[in-house]
Amino acid sequence: MTAIIADHIISPLGHGTAANMAAVQEGHSALRMYHDAPLEPYCASLLPEMPIMDGLTRFETLCVEAIRKASEHYAQLPADRQTVIILSTTKGNVEHLATGDDPLLTTSAQKIADRCGNRNTPIVVSNACISGVCALITAMRLLEAGMYKHAVVVGCDVLSPFIISGFQSFKALSDEPCRPFDKNRTGLNLGEAAACMLLTADEQLAMNAYGTIVSGAIHNDANHISGPSRTGEGSLRCLSDVLGEKDKLAFVNVHGTATAYNDEMESIALNRAGLEEVPVNGLKGFFGHTLGAAGLLETILSLHALEKGLILPTRGYSEQGTSYSVNISSAMRHTDKREFIKVLSGFGGCNAAIRVRLGVPTEVMPQQEEVTVKPMAEVRLTPKGIWLNGQQLPTTETGEALLTELYRTYIKDYPKYFKMDTLSRLGFVAAEILLQSIGEERFAAREDRAIVLGNRSASLKNDTDYQATILPDNYYPSPSLFVYTLPNIVTGEIAIRNKYYGESSFYVLEHEADLLPLAQLAMQQRNTRSVLAGWVECSTKDNWEAHLVLLTK
Amino acid sequence: MDKTLLKQQIIEALNLEDITPADIQDDAPLFGEGLGLDSIDALELFVLLDKQYGIKLQNKEEGKQVFRSVDTMAEYIDAHRTK
Repeated sequence: MTAIIADHIISPLGHGTAANMAAVQEGHSALRMYHDAPLEPYCASLLPEMPIMDGLTRFETLCVEAIRKASEHYAQLPADRQTVIILSTTKGNVEHLATGDDPLLTTSAQKIADRCGNRNTPIVVSNACISGVCALITAMRLLEAGMYKHAVVVGCDVLSPFIISGFQSFKALSDEPCRPFDKNRTGLNLGEAAACMLLTADEQLAMNAYGTIVSGAIHNDANHISGPSRTGEGSLRCLSDVLGEKDKLAFVNVHGTATAYNDEMESIALNRAGLEEVPVNGLKGFFGHTLGAAGLLETILSLHALEKGLILPTRGYSEQGTSYSVNISSAMRHTDKREFIKVLSGFGGCNAAIRVRLGVPTEVMPQQEEVTVKPMAEVRLTPKGIWLNGQQLPTTETGEALLTELYRTYIKDYPKYFKMDTLSRLGFVAAEILLQSIGEERFAAREDRAIVLGNRSASLKNDTDYQATILPDNYYPSPSLFVYTLPNIVTGEIAIRNKYYGESSFYVLEHEADLLPLAQLAMQQRNTRSVLAGWVECSTKDNWEAHLVLLTK
Repeated sequence: MDKTLLKQQIIEALNLEDITPADIQDDAPLFGEGLGLDSIDALELFVLLDKQYGIKLQNKEEGKQVFRSVDTMAEYIDAHRTK
């Protein structure tokens, strides 16, 4: 249970949470058509030109500005030595690939932390479209465990031809303002925004809280790396985990991207969770899909709406378009209830939800039991060889050929391996050899194993490969490369292979040592009994390394 | 058109390791069982048509018709290619 004490939203609808709330209440949207060849014409919600801070990029400026404005009344908090900065983003400065500048998320996160005067190592959550909610869950875990006292969580993505071309190659974009859950929905719109929330575990500061994150959950569909589960497996588990007392729920703020499959999946998950009568709303008709900012922006507005006793409307919705009925709020409604659920789903089969309550935290969190975590097995894989529990396994190849040699020796019958990028092949092969070594029953569906991976370069190698498919004079954006430009896809590949419906998380960090505490926090979750954790770094085709462990309680 | 060349292009575009043109029958369904293709493979076939033959399919529905088999793809390419 974590107190929310401040926030700020920057979007094309306004600078500041109040301005954004007013625009939404008036029914405004910044979605409009853009013509920007070689991209196909697209409908999006883009931020206007703005001054860039000296030494920062547009993306970093937005993050710093959102943090500064959010902490206006808590000016000392971002630089406090007990504050952690958590950045939620899918692609950060990826547009730098076209100009040869540094595109790394760790570089951006460090610059943002430096600008805020924060000395702790920042954490980047890059878990596709669910990153924002995952970042809030990570913050809550760190604060509840007493590892930090405060968290600054900032989410942002800026749009560039890299991201827009990729979504176009997926034929996922609508060329009109999106219509979440509607019968005539034709796809999603992308949007730019930055959103920041300040969270605290400090009892004095928490007295100022206007909202409380009560609980959170992350689950994988174990189904497909880009298509959501047809039965809503991961989303259902997230909703069920955070549900609490259904009668107290004012609404569920859904992902609602307005693609055929996402909204259908969510309608099924809501029904299976017994939430078909609870009001449901989605905000992407106002802002588009703001990627790494979405979880924060949509949580902030949902919370402030609840403060006013309101359930915000679902702009673009008019007629039910899912095979399972849900109680969509198409117009503004009033409520006197005090809780809502925010749920998201994303590529890699990941899903996340939090339950948020109006007002200050009411219960004192029981001191968490100290969980003793022990590694059951360990594997290290480099271009030169593979070591299982310290013993080198016999191999003849090196480099990328080594990964395929290991696939042919240990896996053999999973042709999807050849479709994976190097990062996914690396994590997939290393995980497989680790899991084979412990002699447990394989491929029976299980909920109690989490996958928590991290690295320093995110999906840099594959980003570079995708960038080569969108050159102005050779423009054929590849969907099969684009999907792997999300580093968390490797967690999805492992979850699909093994039928793991537990948590799947991906962090981008400067050092491997920073990952272990995050894996241990995943282990402390109620339903988790083991964690497949580790470092899967891949910056070029010849420069990679995996170090995985299986942790148990 | 040369169906063996088309099969070779499909194998390369979809990374169908261990499959040769002889393994793909002209009239067999490309999707469903058999080659184990999924929705991302279907999207990659849109790129193949554009890149190799200058054909831009309008939407996924059109793709479903065109990508039923190598025969239907070849027929469509012969009728619509611009390069």
